[in-house]
Amino acid sequence: MEYPEIDKYSSLESPIHNFDPRTKIITFTLLIFSSVFVEDIRFAALALIAAFILLIISKLPFKFIFNHVKWVSLFILPFLIIMPFTVDGDVLVNISYITVTHEGITYGFLITVRAFTAILLVFTMLGTMRFDTTIKALHMLKIPNPLVQMLMFTYRYIFVFLDEFQRMWTAMTSKGFKPGLNISSISKIGKSVGMLVVKSYERAQRVYQAMLSKGYTGNPNTIVKFNIKTRDYLITFLIISFAVVLHISPVVLLQ
Amino acid sequence: MINAIDVTNLNYSYPDGTKALDGIDIKIEEGEKTVIVGPNGAGKTTLFLHLNGTLKSQGKNVSIFGRNISEMAIEERIREIGIIFQDPDDQLFMPTVYDDIAFGPLNMGLENKEVDEKVKKALSIVGLEGFEDKVPHHLSYGQKKKVAMASVLSMEPKILVIDEPTANLDPRSRKELIKLINKLNKNQGITIIMATHDVNALPQLSDRVYVLNHKIIAQGSPREIFSDSTVLKENNLEAPDVFKLFKVLGFFGYDYDTLPLSIDEAIEELTKTIETNNGHIHLHIHEHTHQNIRDFINNNDHHH
Repeated sequence: MEYPEIDKYSSLESPIHNFDPRTKIITFTLLIFSSVFVEDIRFAALALIAAFILLIISKLPFKFIFNHVKWVSLFILPFLIIMPFTVDGDVLVNISYITVTHEGITYGFLITVRAFTAILLVFTMLGTMRFDTTIKALHMLKIPNPLVQMLMFTYRYIFVFLDEFQRMWTAMTSKGFKPGLNISSISKIGKSVGMLVVKSYERAQRVYQAMLSKGYTGNPNTIVKFNIKTRDYLITFLIISFAVVLHISPVVLLQ
Repeated sequence: MINAIDVTNLNYSYPDGTKALDGIDIKIEEGEKTVIVGPNGAGKTTLFLHLNGTLKSQGKNVSIFGRNISEMAIEERIREIGIIFQDPDDQLFMPTVYDDIAFGPLNMGLENKEVDEKVKKALSIVGLEGFEDKVPHHLSYGQKKKVAMASVLSMEPKILVIDEPTANLDPRSRKELIKLINKLNKNQGITIIMATHDVNALPQLSDRVYVLNHKIIAQGSPREIFSDSTVLKENNLEAPDVFKLFKVLGFFGYDYDTLPLSIDEAIEELTKTIETNNGHIHLHIHEHTHQNIRDFINNNDHHH
């Protein structure tokens, strides 16, 4: 079965791939926050370009990123359409009760650009390391245990869950089920999802028994072997400087 | 001598009140291979979960090497007894193969370097060297099953409890797993207790057989159990194919000393018979042959 794996290209070789996972998470998170809080559209665009450059450096295939981004776009693009009509300011067009404002357009673009920057950075960050590495890095960064373990088990069992759903779906269609938008079809899908919940509840019990049998006491037990090199400090310095410059320059240049 | 496992009068009911285990008595000596057989839902897995204290009984019914399991600390328990579950997806719950195999040793409080060694060793025992960084969803079922085994072997338990080791495996993986279990028992003296429906594999895997159907119905050597057609019939069991074939040969006039349980034993038996009969085996049909065979087949067919 084809799994929707975010870390499909984690084995490529690039400076972003080789970047220490912990510093990668910290610097990318900082850069994301910095780009999201930029007030000026020109600097927001600069951040978007920077995100693109990082993506190109990472060698992740554009198609792979596009496939993921297209779904997120569904949530962002409405802003671009709604904002021009709803923000007050200089009126550009006025047709009966509908007005389009200059501020609205700028604001709509600003939000869209910021959002895409953040998304590109997130995918570049998560796509360039194995997901288990991401989880371990979070553990090393002292993210609370319950959260780390939740991520860990979600990651492990999402694939088991997908397999189970796939099997159920095959069983349904081979017994003549035709998915559609009518009541009977939807209720059948609802029932099968319900069965999936029951199945995963039972599996959770068995997994917990297996964990106890291996001496589980509540702590996540992993050995992590990360190693920060000089290069990592250099990249960290560059990215963080850029994140800071994004906020200082508008103040200095645009006074 | 102290038994490896000592279960006395173990009772267990499911939360809804159904009796799962009823007065179970089992004694297993160190180094022994024991197989528990019985129909689906007979309580085998429930029994196994009691053996390492995952499920707790009210009394002091389960002892491991003479010590009551409920009084042992969790780190001690996992050193003594390891359970390999039927579905490897239940057993492999960590993101990578390494993490899964290291899980037990880390809980035992070992140093990182020791843990590394244990992981390496366990992977080499199951023949999956270099699989450390793989993620479980990229493994085949047979590989998952082996990794699940390694994840328990890394704790180096003295007793290994295995639930359905050969279920859902292709013939080659099945053969490899049987070999591996026997190797562990022979070379490292690990006491093995397992549940299986695979009657053809059973003779190679067991010194002693218990028939469990909520109660202990019967116990004995594989030959004793398979010779008791009433016990087999009442508990949805069957004798190995080789065993049945030689029984049929008997109706054709073949004179056997003992009924062989496996191909190896069959070869031995045939060789012996041929050698003592001047290089021949004599088979014939007499007046009762067909009737005897019909009776035998009817008796073995649970549907009639």
